[in-house]
Amino acid sequence: MGAYVLRRLLQAVPLLWLISVMVFLLLHVIPGGPMAAYENNPDMTAEDQQRLEHDLGLDVPLHVQYVRWLAALLHGDWGYSLASKRPVLVEIGDRLPNTVYLIGVATLVTLVLAVPIGIFSALRQYSTLDHVVTTVAFMGHSIPIFWFGLILIIVFHVTLRNPWTGAPLFPGGGMYTLGMPFSLLDRIYHLALPVGMLAVANAATYTRYTRASMLEVIGQDFIRTARAKGTPEPRVIWKHGLKNAASPVVTILALDLPALFAGAVFTETMFSWPGMGRLFIESAFRVDYALLMAIIMVTATLTVAFNLLADVAYAYLDPRIRYG
Amino acid sequence: MKTTDVRRSLVTAGLVAALLATWPAPAFPQGKRGGVITFALYQEPETLNPYIATQTASSEVEVFVVEGFLGRSPEGEYTPRLATEVPSRQNGGVSADGRTITYHLKPGLKWSDGQPVTCEDVRFTWQAIVHPQSGAVSTTGYREIDGVDCPSPATAVIRYKTFYAPFLSRFTAIMPKHATGDPAEMPRWAYNRKLVGTGPFTMLEWVSGDHITLIPNRYYRQAGRPRLDGVIVRITPSREVGKQLIKTGEVDVLWDLTEADVPELRTASGVVVSSEPSPYAERLVVNFADPALDGPLPDAVEKNPHPILGDPRVREAIELGINKKEIIDKLLFGLADMGTNELHIGWAKCATRPSEYDPARARQLLDQAGWKVGADGIRVAQGAKYAKDGTRLRLKLQTTTGNKLREQVEQLLIDYMKQIGLEFFIENVPSPVLFGSWASGAFRKHGHFDVVMYTTNPDVDPQSQMEGYFASWSMPSAANNGAGFNYARWASKTADDAIKLAGSSPDLTVRKKAYCTAVNEIVKDRPHIYLYSRNNIHAYRDRLVGWVGNVWDNLGWNAEDWSLR
Repeated sequence: MGAYVLRRLLQAVPLLWLISVMVFLLLHVIPGGPMAAYENNPDMTAEDQQRLEHDLGLDVPLHVQYVRWLAALLHGDWGYSLASKRPVLVEIGDRLPNTVYLIGVATLVTLVLAVPIGIFSALRQYSTLDHVVTTVAFMGHSIPIFWFGLILIIVFHVTLRNPWTGAPLFPGGGMYTLGMPFSLLDRIYHLALPVGMLAVANAATYTRYTRASMLEVIGQDFIRTARAKGTPEPRVIWKHGLKNAASPVVTILALDLPALFAGAVFTETMFSWPGMGRLFIESAFRVDYALLMAIIMVTATLTVAFNLLADVAYAYLDPRIRYG
Repeated sequence: MKTTDVRRSLVTAGLVAALLATWPAPAFPQGKRGGVITFALYQEPETLNPYIATQTASSEVEVFVVEGFLGRSPEGEYTPRLATEVPSRQNGGVSADGRTITYHLKPGLKWSDGQPVTCEDVRFTWQAIVHPQSGAVSTTGYREIDGVDCPSPATAVIRYKTFYAPFLSRFTAIMPKHATGDPAEMPRWAYNRKLVGTGPFTMLEWVSGDHITLIPNRYYRQAGRPRLDGVIVRITPSREVGKQLIKTGEVDVLWDLTEADVPELRTASGVVVSSEPSPYAERLVVNFADPALDGPLPDAVEKNPHPILGDPRVREAIELGINKKEIIDKLLFGLADMGTNELHIGWAKCATRPSEYDPARARQLLDQAGWKVGADGIRVAQGAKYAKDGTRLRLKLQTTTGNKLREQVEQLLIDYMKQIGLEFFIENVPSPVLFGSWASGAFRKHGHFDVVMYTTNPDVDPQSQMEGYFASWSMPSAANNGAGFNYARWASKTADDAIKLAGSSPDLTVRKKAYCTAVNEIVKDRPHIYLYSRNNIHAYRDRLVGWVGNVWDNLGWNAEDWSLR
């Protein structure tokens, strides 16, 4: 197992390097570039342009720029944002907790909702409950997330009003009420809609996977054996059933978890959530190479890491799987 | 519950609690309705350093904190701010050759940390800007300075090496020497995120991606001002979000609206729309040179004129064929003025009449210019001045993609031109492509276009705009690394002389007259065809008192007088 993990880690190095080269090239294909912000200023002279280009390190050939970036990174230096001139890590540090908060809560809510519903739906296959769950999950899966977010805002922020104060039922955005001291209630109040939006969309997927996987497992001989031995039903379901059915769910969870870093672009934009998703989009509009490279590379690294974690988790969940 | 389960739930609860506890409480304890207004900005400033920032959003925040020698009145005239008066020849502030400018600071001025404001700060500001590692966006008007003398702490004498006409427009922000840092480190100053200024407000905090809180400056020079207890700048992901927030009263001020937003907000209760004529003018930039040439200079342009647009009669026909009034009424909800010229507003205003909509005259002009109506109604060259016989009267019209208003205007333009027998075809591009640099090969810079449509505007001092866009030496070319904005590649001796005169006289009356000479040449020759002059549109809640629109400054320019009803 240790050798397997080590091999996978070593394989990840050239993969990530290749990703960094491709992303770097793709970013530089974006028309305009970071100098576009200065283009329409009649006060700027050609010398000003050249001076700033030099300051930003954009006046050397592309491969030199890449080597400089990589060399700095190997020394642990992610560089400075081209737009704000602040260290990239500081920019990310300002936003990351907000995203971890949003995605973390949303993922918890998703799992708490989806896994039990998926299991019960599988256990009562073709019951009314199962039909309802399947239909709702299918709808949740098909609804475009941005559309669903707008509907949530229209219904819960614009249309529905608090009957006592006449204020909107839920806030249309933000993380807290500006000018109010922190309170847990206020935080939950602001989390409700964005978490609702994320959870509904994700729960649909997770429910469908859990249900399908569970259906497959509970038809197997060892479940029948367990029941025949007189094992209590909850133990059959949770210990023998779920543990074996969990692999596909763990896979999609592992693929979703890098979002803890990358954030949710649509949700954060719609609900004015100051997280990583918006930082990414804003940097993309500004063609902020340093910041974009950092966000994309960390996301890529996390994706590789979580995939490895998922594979390791399989071995734990299913003793038949052996890595050598 | 088994012990392991208990432990698990405890761990989970702990994690959740830890997540919830990671948030510092917002540091603004006062109630929102106790004299605090919220201002929605749909762009987050990248930096607040006034000499590094490039976005309007940055200045919209800076204006509450940072001040310079002079301010700008709603009429587009200079007014004293930190200086006691606007320097002029009459009051002795400007030397005879216009190269020595003397400013007197108001007595007792203090920074928001209580330190006195002195001439040393002025000298430091100049030194910081011109420092090669400062990252200042533009050094124009500062690198021409020989030195800043401080005969007394309250007197700053600025000595220019060469005369710089827009000298009054410089030093719009004085930076505190003691609260900034080494000029070589300017891009990384803590000051850039936490300004120290002389304005009515000072910064309390900036929560990235969320909001910026401003509180009153205790050392503000005017007693009893500012009246508000605070201003919260709320960063929204889009203008649409801001519109929603102002309707529900969650924000009090909404920055930068388009004409299309107005009908919806006008009918919203409690919302006031502020719409003021601005120096921004949407125009067609007409290429005088053969678009096949790469960055041609005046001689080459004269030898190789644009086959169609090189003829002044064609340009006149295009302008006469456009129904500017209809564009404004139909597409801009009447919230704009008919386009006239570059200087339709401000102290250097030069009044000219908008063109008449006269398609009959336009057709006549094209007939005279040797463009005969073809089988499908589009004209074909037959004895035209520059075009070979048989050339179709067909021009490419380009603007930025994703701008609904511009796309609608293009449709009307196509219609108008069809009626006079000219065919416009559209090839829109993303704005970074249109506004790209010479180095990136942008077609506008290199001169590979027929007609492009966009908005630009002169500053309160129009020199850089007039010189940049209309002087014959401002054509971007390989020789000057693509500097300059004379994309029309228009050359006029009269205009060149006038722009030179305006750029070399310390007398505002002389300059104003000279600009008007140049403007009249532009109107006659049409390197730019002005479609409409835009309004600056913002909205605010009616509980806010003291709002005065000022298109020459940022919307918080008089925030010290704002109060709540």
